[in-house]
Amino acid sequence: MHVSIEEDGTEILKGLNLKVGSGEVHAIMGPNGSGKSTLASVLAGKDGYEVTNGTVAFCGDDLLELAADERAREGLFLAFQYPIELPGVSMSNFLKQAVQSVREHQGKEALTSGALLQMMKEKAALVHLDPALKSRSVNEGFSGGEKKRNEIFQLAMLEPKFAILDETDSGLDIDALRIVADGVNHLRSPERSFLLITHYQRLLDYIVPDFVHVLMNGRIVMTGGKELALELEEKGYDWIKDETTQLA
Amino acid sequence: MSMELKEQSRSGEDVFIERFEDLIGPNTNGSESEWTLNRRNAIQVFAQNGFPNKKSESYKYTPVTKWLQSQLKNGMHTAAGSSVQSGNLKNEALPTPLLDESEVRGEPSSLENMKGLHVHATNGLIRGSLSEALPTGLIICSFKQALVDHPKLLSEYLTKAVVLERDPFAALASAFAEDGILIFVPAGLEVEKAIVIHHDALFSNSLIQARLLVVAEEGTKVNVIEHFPFLDAGSSFENRVAEVFAGKGARVDHVLVMERNDQTLFVNSLFVHQDANSFFRTNTVTLGGGLVRHNLNFLPDAEECETHLHGLYVAKGTAHVDNHTLVDHAKPNCFSNEIFKGIVTNQAVGVFNGKVLVRQDAQKTNAYQSSKCIVLDRGARTYAKPELEIYADDVKCSHGATTGELDEDALFYLRARGIHPDAAKLMLLEAFAKDIIGLIDFDEVRNYLYQRLHGLLTVTK
Repeated sequence: MHVSIEEDGTEILKGLNLKVGSGEVHAIMGPNGSGKSTLASVLAGKDGYEVTNGTVAFCGDDLLELAADERAREGLFLAFQYPIELPGVSMSNFLKQAVQSVREHQGKEALTSGALLQMMKEKAALVHLDPALKSRSVNEGFSGGEKKRNEIFQLAMLEPKFAILDETDSGLDIDALRIVADGVNHLRSPERSFLLITHYQRLLDYIVPDFVHVLMNGRIVMTGGKELALELEEKGYDWIKDETTQLA
Repeated sequence: MSMELKEQSRSGEDVFIERFEDLIGPNTNGSESEWTLNRRNAIQVFAQNGFPNKKSESYKYTPVTKWLQSQLKNGMHTAAGSSVQSGNLKNEALPTPLLDESEVRGEPSSLENMKGLHVHATNGLIRGSLSEALPTGLIICSFKQALVDHPKLLSEYLTKAVVLERDPFAALASAFAEDGILIFVPAGLEVEKAIVIHHDALFSNSLIQARLLVVAEEGTKVNVIEHFPFLDAGSSFENRVAEVFAGKGARVDHVLVMERNDQTLFVNSLFVHQDANSFFRTNTVTLGGGLVRHNLNFLPDAEECETHLHGLYVAKGTAHVDNHTLVDHAKPNCFSNEIFKGIVTNQAVGVFNGKVLVRQDAQKTNAYQSSKCIVLDRGARTYAKPELEIYADDVKCSHGATTGELDEDALFYLRARGIHPDAAKLMLLEAFAKDIIGLIDFDEVRNYLYQRLHGLLTVTK
């Protein structure tokens, strides 16, 4: 896949190939500016990027043909690096609209208000969120940690097939990181795959990936198992830079 | 078509001035009531100033005179309900009406069912009797009735807050209104239920000049809710002037909901006079109308006054909504806060002009102002002009005006959760409007407005 910024044509992803199988957890690591968040945004369907070349197959669909909301209804989920505050939009209304849209599309029957409430209660408990948050505005006045936990809460509510976590660990203290990781681990299943975008190996101590990829300069330059993350933590990225330049 | 030619040769002002003379008759020197003299004075002020023209700064973005003239050409009824009933109208003073004189009423709204003291008005005049007995001392009646029963009240308050020179429409309504609605709250009375005025009937294609006078004496508490529902009454011109006196320590809360049809020219001039330690709040919600102009004037005329101006407008189609406010801080230690929000779409236009004047004596004034507008369509326009004029040196004042589209990041966030784009837009617009509607104290009014907004915004692209 090749992706450019629409506005000025800068190429960010320069031939990225990745296959995530059902139930797998992949981690993408890489230095700042390597294109990690661009990858997340492009997969989720954010405006402002042009895919100049390539395709993304998602459970038999051409993902790039779908609008952002269609992708979400098909079962793709993005946990935002910077969750957006929506003053005046209550969590309960937001979740109701989201859950019912997704369920309707997937041919599942609509939940009754009671069932929805019950579900919210259960899933909020997964990430230790106060159930009273349902009457609050989405992310407004949430602490950094609450915002990230709220992303995982939404993931749990929407039950996607494929979830991208864009630096969900950034800005979290150890306890919050553990809570988020526990939530994610709980949500792992043979039908659900994850793409974890992270700077730090620490997250991968808690959420153990099946594969670790190194993204540099818009390409995946190295793929390995979970031990690759440890190696990166120890040695940084420079040695990979050297190796890949030698190869090229 | 000879009629049209004739109309083109006379100015809009002349039509009204001649009409006024027909209505009131020649001056009978000395034997006239104070109110009639009052009205003569108002028409003189109007004659001197005339309608706003292209050079009028305060109507720069709102071509109200042009609208009015085209409406006059098409013809409209000329007087409030009382005159329509009287047989001696000289209708030739204005073009003859196109439609019959049948009364048009809207569907009863859910506001009819709210807990309150309900007043129904046709063409601005009280119709029938009140829904229930009033608390002791509270007066709600027509000016004509007050002239008989409480003449001192009218002479003490009527046109005392209106600044005729400030706006020709206020002068015009003050001259023409042959009657009005008086609400008088005697000292110390706290009116528990809201007074709900349903301006729910008009004569089709009519010209209405109506008045409202609210006097809340010392230590009182009163809520006045006015509803101008949608009416399929052709092209009407409603020009009304409202005066409110908030006495010492009084708390007056006002809500106006305007939903007339898209052929309505609606000018609402509100003048509020506040005495020491009083609280006044208005929430002016505009969801309908063709051309709507709110002139909202506040004079906190003693220390420790609190003034809140809240407003929301949704302008669709070719609607034009203009909120023009003036807070005149004349005395020290007062607080005012102004928040207006608008949503404009299609080819609609939204205008906000908010002036805060802090006079030299008004030290320790706290005055805040904010105007936010969302423009949904390339064809829609908005103009905002905040003005701070400060002559005192120890004050806190701020203002801010923003105009923009819906927040793309917020929209994306909602869509990334599977919410359809239209539903996502609706959620954000409702959230935007909620800031203003949420400030209204009455559940029934809030719920009514949420439901109306939902309907209005759902069909909005």
